[in-house]
Amino acid sequence: MLWVDKYRPKTLDQITVHEDVAQNLKKLVTEQDCPHLLFYGPPGAGKKTLIMALLRQMFGNSAEKVKVENRTWKVDAGSRSIDIELTTLASANHIEMSPSDAGFQDRYVVQEIIKEMAKNRPIDTKGKKGFKVLLLNEVDKLSREAQHSLRRTMEKYSAYCRLILCCNSSSRVIEAIRSRCLNVRINAPNEEQIVRALDFISKKEDLQLPSGFAARIAEKSNRNLRRAILSLETCRVQQYPFSSKQTIPPMDWEEYISEIASDIMKEQSPKRLFQVRGKLYELLINCIPPEIILKRLLYELLKKLDAELKLEVCHWAAYYEHRMRLGQKAIFHLEAFVAKFMSVYKAFLIATFG
Amino acid sequence: MVMGKRNSVIVLSSDDENDGTTCSLSGSNSYAKSKSRSTSSRRKKKARLSGSRSRSSKDSSKLYEINELGEDFNEVFTGFNVSAAGTHRNHSGELWVHKHKPHFLEELAVHKKKVEEVKMWFEKRLKPSQGISSSNVLLITGQAGVGKSAAVHVISSHLGAILCEWNTPTPVIWQEHLHNSSSGTQYISKLDEFETYVERIRKYGLLSTYLNGESKAPIIVLIDDLPTTNGKAAFGRLQDCLHLLVRSTQIPTVIVFTDYGNSDSADHDAQCLEKIQLSLQSAGACKIAFNPITANSIKKALFRICQLEQCNVSAEQVDLIAKASGGDIRHAITSLQFFCLERNQVHSLSLSSNFLSVSREKEKKSSNFLSVSKEKEKKAITLDDGYSLHFSRDETLSLFHALGKFLHNKREFESTTKYEHDTFLIRERFVRLPLKMDVPEKILCHAHVQPGPVADFLHENVLDFMNEEAIDDASIVSSYLGDADILLAKLRGMASRYNEAEGVLPSAAASVAVRGVLFGNSHTLSARWHAVRGPKLWGVERESLYNKNKMLKQRVAEFEGLTSCNASVIATEYIPVSKWIGNRARGEYHESPQLLADDLDMDGIDFDQMILDDQENDDEIEDW
Repeated sequence: MLWVDKYRPKTLDQITVHEDVAQNLKKLVTEQDCPHLLFYGPPGAGKKTLIMALLRQMFGNSAEKVKVENRTWKVDAGSRSIDIELTTLASANHIEMSPSDAGFQDRYVVQEIIKEMAKNRPIDTKGKKGFKVLLLNEVDKLSREAQHSLRRTMEKYSAYCRLILCCNSSSRVIEAIRSRCLNVRINAPNEEQIVRALDFISKKEDLQLPSGFAARIAEKSNRNLRRAILSLETCRVQQYPFSSKQTIPPMDWEEYISEIASDIMKEQSPKRLFQVRGKLYELLINCIPPEIILKRLLYELLKKLDAELKLEVCHWAAYYEHRMRLGQKAIFHLEAFVAKFMSVYKAFLIATFG
Repeated sequence: MVMGKRNSVIVLSSDDENDGTTCSLSGSNSYAKSKSRSTSSRRKKKARLSGSRSRSSKDSSKLYEINELGEDFNEVFTGFNVSAAGTHRNHSGELWVHKHKPHFLEELAVHKKKVEEVKMWFEKRLKPSQGISSSNVLLITGQAGVGKSAAVHVISSHLGAILCEWNTPTPVIWQEHLHNSSSGTQYISKLDEFETYVERIRKYGLLSTYLNGESKAPIIVLIDDLPTTNGKAAFGRLQDCLHLLVRSTQIPTVIVFTDYGNSDSADHDAQCLEKIQLSLQSAGACKIAFNPITANSIKKALFRICQLEQCNVSAEQVDLIAKASGGDIRHAITSLQFFCLERNQVHSLSLSSNFLSVSREKEKKSSNFLSVSKEKEKKAITLDDGYSLHFSRDETLSLFHALGKFLHNKREFESTTKYEHDTFLIRERFVRLPLKMDVPEKILCHAHVQPGPVADFLHENVLDFMNEEAIDDASIVSSYLGDADILLAKLRGMASRYNEAEGVLPSAAASVAVRGVLFGNSHTLSARWHAVRGPKLWGVERESLYNKNKMLKQRVAEFEGLTSCNASVIATEYIPVSKWIGNRARGEYHESPQLLADDLDMDGIDFDQMILDDQENDDEIEDW
């Protein structure tokens, strides 16, 4: 088991990084009925950890017995019926899913699953009708239609289920939903907190962690606690005892993207573009989200770029990122960005060096 | 051919004074069951031209029933007409297709090489000296109207062989059957008839039975029309019987298959034919595929007919007819006849001017790249009284053919745009030379393809067709493809709500994709061979979905309970790390960052099958 999982706080009391939030949540659940919740914050801040601890607080150990289901819903959409396939994680008391995986059909999924949950609501020991929790990931990636239909079902079935929504940025969640939820912002842990967490783990693992090294990991992790812990573990495997000058191995896909970036810088031609496409496919096959690819690629390209081009390149990256959200096939837009960059960069080279 | 005259029986001799080809005949009536027919004398053309009839009946003992004598007569009469009243020749009521059948090898519009190939094959089989050759069955395939049967007819007469045809029996309608059943006639299935026929030629060599060995001319059997089969059992019977034929027949036999174009390859019938072809080939039959006839050959043939018929058709019009025919010469000739007829009789007013205006209109369209809408195009066609395009055949294109057009992006060498039509001027960098093809939307219509796949195919292949230096073009093209993708995505989102929008949006998307490619790819490569690939994207999408599910499952299996992570986090953080650690632990750490694909094994799913097999596109992309 990875350390991230091993040392993940299981209950609200164990949580150290967002202690205040955890205590508030605990009060909320024990004292009264819990409202719909919307957790938002950068990746690796601890949203999921909080949510899982909260579920355990609400339902006890049964929340941990989760099974994966690959379910197909038959949805009646006007004239025809659509089959939608989606992976869910479910326990007796909650269902977790990422409806945005269903793409443009996400709104049907949201409605259907809530209706279905409402049909068979669990009855608790005291004979009181309980409720189920629906945990929706990546709400910010839901289409606008889906968010609107979510809003309606939320009101209609609020007696039967509680929604816990989880996303990176609340700005992409419509106002109507935000106002119906208790918004909980989970900000990224600062480097001190990360260092403390790393120290905690290395003590448990019986490791000597030089403080400078921990700080470096924390810095490299970009305030992502999960990333920091994973890095610590890889470093442990790479070399122990730690030396404070030790390199922190990057993720393989990141390295792959930096390779792509240097490919792009080396040659700008349709042929090279075709090769780059092949590599992008490779990343997509491995489920690296296209937005992350684009972001990372931009990051890598900016590192090698002349200052005067940076603005323009960023502009185009934003432009194509937006189009990627509008569109459906990410590769079209990723490739369009690469082509645009090549075109801009080549013109720049010709202008500077003749 | 006029059916009424078909059964007339004529006695005539085979006089040897002409060019070696003997009169041949057939016995469709005398031999009731064998539905064989053969072509008739090849001299009729000569006869017609000279306007005199040189055949005289001699007291020869040889009696031939001439099957197509009616036609002969007809021709003779028209021949007289020519000399007598030259103006009325159009009204003789005969189809030019039959009238101007090719009679000599030179007249065939089929490519010389193919003719030669077929001829060689026959020669090999007909030479008595040659022992048993590999197989006596030849398959000829090709679209409708490319001259398959005509070639066989002409070649066999050239070689002086008798051609016997399997004549498809008239289908029996249900009412007819009811009517007949009272009179005691039994219904025989057409497949049965065909089977017995094949059996007979296979076993007894058929013709010897009724020709009584009188003719020394070799015999060729032509099966032009296979019975339709319904259901697996019937199909199996047909296949078996043909298979046997290929294996054991002693007479050179030609089986003609008509391809119905690959675009409808989902069609069950076409698949059946394909299967039969394959099984026959594996049994040793030789296959020769006829390509659609080139526009030039069609033009030549049409000019010849024009000359013979003395009708005045401008070169431009002939050109248009030839192009509109889509390689179907039969259609082209009929169109020509219709066209001449129309002008002479029915519609003497202004048709040709109308007609010209259409062609000019078209030219303008294709030169004017910015005029977009399909609606307009339609209007242009319907406006002209619906007459102008009467002769054009509803052309269908295969997907690959259409793609080839778009990707090769052929353009005129210099701009012929007249600026008097265009009231606005275009900036230098937006100007493109006129396209050497129809309006892209029209081609899309002909190709019957979904807009989504079109964008995918173009995306997959367009980079191959670009100049090495033209990265600017590439970026323009990919942006346009992105636009198309956005349009398509919009549609998907509201497909169920706004049904009427479904028609317009995707075609707009396809149009944007195609025109984007045509516009962006401004520095095309010189024509070179490129295979068109199926989109890799489809495979990638499936694979990634599969991997995603697998990832989630794995993760939950490994850490039961408290996991709950979304896929992107797993993919970007957990999997790489655990893989890295796993590799390290096994001491197999590679310095270079190998991607993880090999670790997620693809058992159980055969992606090769999912990816469209692109063997079929080989010769599709050539433009003929």
